[in-house]
Formats: sequence, structure tokens, C-alpha cells
Amino acid sequence: MNRADWERLKPLFHGALEQPPPQRPDWLRAQCEDEAVRREVLALLHSHETAGDFLEAPATFDPADAAAQDVWQIGAYAIRGELGRGGMGVVYLAEDIRLGRTVALKALPATFANDPQRRERLRREARAAAALTHPGIAIVYALEEIDGELYIASEHVRGRTLRAELAEGPLGAARAHATAIEIVRALCAAHEAGIVHRDLKPENILRTDEGGIKILDFGIAQFTDHTLTQLTAAGAVMGTPAYMAPEQLVGPDVDFRADLYAVGVLIVEMATGRHPFATGDGPRAPMPEALRAIADRCLARDPRDRYPSTRELLAALEAAYRAAPASTDERTAASVEPAQPAARFTPLWWWEFHQAVAALIYWLMAIPAWSARGLIGGATGRTVFFVTLAAIIVSANLRLHLWFTSRFYPGELRWVRRRTARWVTVADWVFCLALVAAGLLVGDTGGELATVLISVGVGTAVVFLVVEPVTERAAFRDGR
Amino acid sequence: MPLVYDELRRVAARYIGRERPGQTLQATALVNEAFVRLVNEKARGFQNRAHFVAIAALSMRQILVQRARARHAAKRGGAAQRITLDDAVLSDAKGGIGRPGEIDVVVLDDALTRLAALDPTQARIVELRYFGGLTIEETAEALHSSPATVKREWAMARAWLKRELE
Repeated sequence: MNRADWERLKPLFHGALEQPPPQRPDWLRAQCEDEAVRREVLALLHSHETAGDFLEAPATFDPADAAAQDVWQIGAYAIRGELGRGGMGVVYLAEDIRLGRTVALKALPATFANDPQRRERLRREARAAAALTHPGIAIVYALEEIDGELYIASEHVRGRTLRAELAEGPLGAARAHATAIEIVRALCAAHEAGIVHRDLKPENILRTDEGGIKILDFGIAQFTDHTLTQLTAAGAVMGTPAYMAPEQLVGPDVDFRADLYAVGVLIVEMATGRHPFATGDGPRAPMPEALRAIADRCLARDPRDRYPSTRELLAALEAAYRAAPASTDERTAASVEPAQPAARFTPLWWWEFHQAVAALIYWLMAIPAWSARGLIGGATGRTVFFVTLAAIIVSANLRLHLWFTSRFYPGELRWVRRRTARWVTVADWVFCLALVAAGLLVGDTGGELATVLISVGVGTAVVFLVVEPVTERAAFRDGR
Repeated sequence: MPLVYDELRRVAARYIGRERPGQTLQATALVNEAFVRLVNEKARGFQNRAHFVAIAALSMRQILVQRARARHAAKRGGAAQRITLDDAVLSDAKGGIGRPGEIDVVVLDDALTRLAALDPTQARIVELRYFGGLTIEETAEALHSSPATVKREWAMARAWLKRELE
């Protein structure tokens, strides 16, 4: 058959169909003299009458088809299946063929392909997140660009989400409390490294098969889930905004205190089984007063009214945990005690101690420096004294500033350290040299004063050349 | 076009290993899911859902034919092995070639290509209806045609294809 035949056939077929079936052959004979064409149309009509549901149901697809499975590969990752949508977003269970390692491979929304700015931000966040190593945080292995699309490969954690756990009802006050401590402990490590999660919620927290807690998608959740959340929001489902701090709804530039807010929501939800701002009169399990007070402070509207540092929230949670009546069996199972002594004298604590003591000693040295001014006398004495004083003011104040930031704004510590490092070093050198110079100028007239000035000058130099780098490395060994 | 194709493959892969063997999914479900995933991404240039599905149906056809070809190849490769009657029956029951009432996508694809040479519109209608899972009304919308016309053309295409596949 060719196209011309087809064009002759078509009106005949359509016309015949409009006739009642018994009259169709007669109608055809009247319309067309060509016997061959008539036969063709009749055959088609017969086929039409006996077609039944032929092609009526759309094509099907057998997902278990082994032959088709082998075909599926993204870059160097063989896809083994899907880990779930975890609320939203696609996460594949994949094998990194190069390393033979099983990973969770997350596909990022295609919008990234068009937006170099967001891409760059993601790259930076992923790099920071990859530096995090804490048992409570899933490791980010790689940010991959395959065929123009972005994927994040991270540690594959066996376990189930807190969301799944909550679906079975509240965890109970004691277990909720212990779980909150574990979550906040992991958060501490991240916040002190200057990394904020920004999208903490039950879908992003896993209870591993071993019983521990793992936080997923540190720093990158905002890129993977946020866009898709909007997609669900279009379907009128309540999305992540339920866990977002008020300031997050205004702008994307938030600090670690946004995570503290999410912790507040989590605590209430884990303990009572319901979101703190859930409407309706659903059942709400009771919550101990101490835990409620902690959650309330986390949920403060103004970030400044929340805990000034994650470590302080951790301390409050742990103190409340120890103070709570040890009634339930779960309480003993939780591993709160062993971490306690370690939590106090961490390398970071020693680093803070070092800063505070150094500042104190510097200020005390202003007194002998003043005495030296009188003994040296004249313009030289005044110059040496004022140079020393300037060095003291700069170095001691910067060190107090570092101490304060570390205690109360750990999220900004990395930035503050980077900014002040050079000034502290310069001031330290000036301080040491000025003290030694003063000691030499005072000479024999000063007696013991000269000895004090020179030994403190040399001693300080030794401390900041030898001791300080060690404390620094210990406190910030993760390259924070 | 490659974007929709990739998306469909990704959506399809998501089901791999989750469903019980033998459980099948309608192409419609995959197309819908791909649509939901892509719809929020602006600047994609889809005028509407019908426009999207028109593209998706073509992708779906390619995917299914590719898979069916792979399955045929696997079967031919396996033929050299010792096959008992039971094995043959079992493998056919698992969705092989020639199950009664089952449409062989590869054969359909060939027939559809021949139909396109005679009547491109009818071939397109079959593609949308069968591989895209569109209703008569949706097909009419996608083709800027009327439901009555689509219905008539669909009837003829179906009758012709049925003869070709017999």
C-alpha cells in the first residue's frame, strides 16, 4: 500500500463506520467500484470490530526486568535501586565503580545547570561539609557533575529516618531527651567548624541500625530539598517551613541559631509526638518541665533569645538529663555519662583558656613597663613604653575577642580567627621585642626589673612560637 | 527532549528493585511522575502538560523498545543453554515473547514506523495514547485537534495495526 491508496481508503473506512454494521458492505459497494480497495476496507472494518481492547490500555513497564536493570548507570555509579524519597528528592543506592564503595547518590534539581551562582555556593558548602568527620554526621564523599547534572555522593547509612520512627508515635520523654543530646552533640561539631545545616528535620536524621544518630546532608540539604519542598507545597502539603526558624523565612543568611530553632521543634515533636505549633486537639504526650524550658528557649522568635552557643544548649540538655528522675530503663541505656568529662576539657577549651590567660599576662606586664619608662627616662623611655602599651592593647584585646567569640558565637569563630591572626602575630612580636629592649635599656640600674622584662619577653616569644601552634592545631584539627 | 528522556529513565530506575517481580507499571504513571518533577523547573519551554506529554510519549516509546530489544537479545543469548520445556514455559510466563494478549513492543514499533509513512497523524495518536497514556481528549489537546477527529483516526490506526500484528 502507498500513500495514495491510503488516502482513498481513509474516507471509505470513516464513512462506513458511520453506517450501522449490517449495512456497511452495501454502502461500500455504492461508494467504490474498485474491488481490491473494497476488500481492504472490509478487512480493516473486520479488524476494527474484533479489536476488543487492543492498545486501549497504555504500555506497561516491568521494573523487575533484569535485562533493563543492567543498562542503568550514572557516570561512574551503578544504580542499584532507590533509597527512598525521604520526604522529597531522589536518592539512589549506588555503587561507585571506581572504588567499589556503596554510596547514597542524590540527584540535584536541574535548575542548577542554569545558575552558576547557586552552583558555586553549593560547591563551597559541599567542600566545607566534606571536611566534617563526626560519628553523628553522614560523610559527604563527592560532588559530581555528570552530563551537566549535579549529584552528591555521600555515606550510605543503614537505618531509618526519625520521621518513620515518629510515625509510630512519640518516643517518650527520656528517649526523646537522649536522642536530642545525640543530635546536638553532632551539631556542636559542625557549628564549631562553622557549618550550619539549615534544614534540620526528621527526614534528615537517621537512627542507624546500631542505634546511633546520623544527620544527613549537612550544609547541602538546602540545595537538594528546598526546591523540591516548594514542589510539594504546590500540592498543598506542609513542607519544611515547619522546621524553619522565623528568620529563615525572611532571608537565606542565617547562622547556627536557625539549627537551634529546628532542634526546639524536634525536641517537642519527639517527646510529645506532635509539632509544637500543630493545630487541632490531637493527643499530646506529656513533657517534663525542664525539657520543655529548653525547647522553649530554642524556639525563641528572636535568635538572640536562643542559646548563645550550641555547646551551651548541649550542656543544658545534659544537665537536665542528669537531674531528671532516673526512672525509666531507657535512661540507663543512653550514653550521656561517658561524654561528660571529655566535653569539659576539650582541646577547644584549652585553646580558650590559653587566650584568656595570655590576655591577662599581657595586661599585667603594663606595670613593669611603666616602671622601666621612669628608669630609662627621656624620649626613649616614653617611646619604649608606648610601643609596649600599644602591643598589649592590640594583642590582649584581640585574644579576649577570640575567647568571647568562641564561647558565645562559635559559628563565627573561623571567620574571626582568619581576620585577626595576622594582627595578633604582629602585636605579639612587637610586645616581646619591646619588653626585651626595655630590659636591655634599663640595664644594671633596674636590677631585677631588667631580668623580669627580658625573661617575660623571651618567655612569651617561646610560648607563641612553640606552645600556641600546638593548642591551635589540637583545637582546630579538622581545618576549621 | 533529551531532558525529558533522562527524566523518564530516572523515574523508571527509581522503581527498580522496589516492586515485586512481575508487577508492572503503566507508562502513564512514569510520564506523570516525570512531569511532576520537571514542571516546576521554569524555562523548560513546555507550553502545557499536553505539550510535555507529547514529548514524553516519544521518549517512553524509545525506552520501552530499547528494553524490549535488550530482553530479546538476552533470550537469544540464553538459547544456547540447555532448555527444558518447563524452563521455556516459565520464562514465557515471566513476560517473554509471545504471551497471548501481550503486545510485543518491538513488533509494534516497526508497525508504527510503517504507519507513520502512510499517515503521520495516526502514528502520532497511537504514540500519545499507548506510550503516553493520554485520553482521547488529552490527545486532541496535544495535537490541536478535536476529540471526534482523534477518535476516528484512532479507530482506523488501531484496526490497521491489529492486522499488521496478527
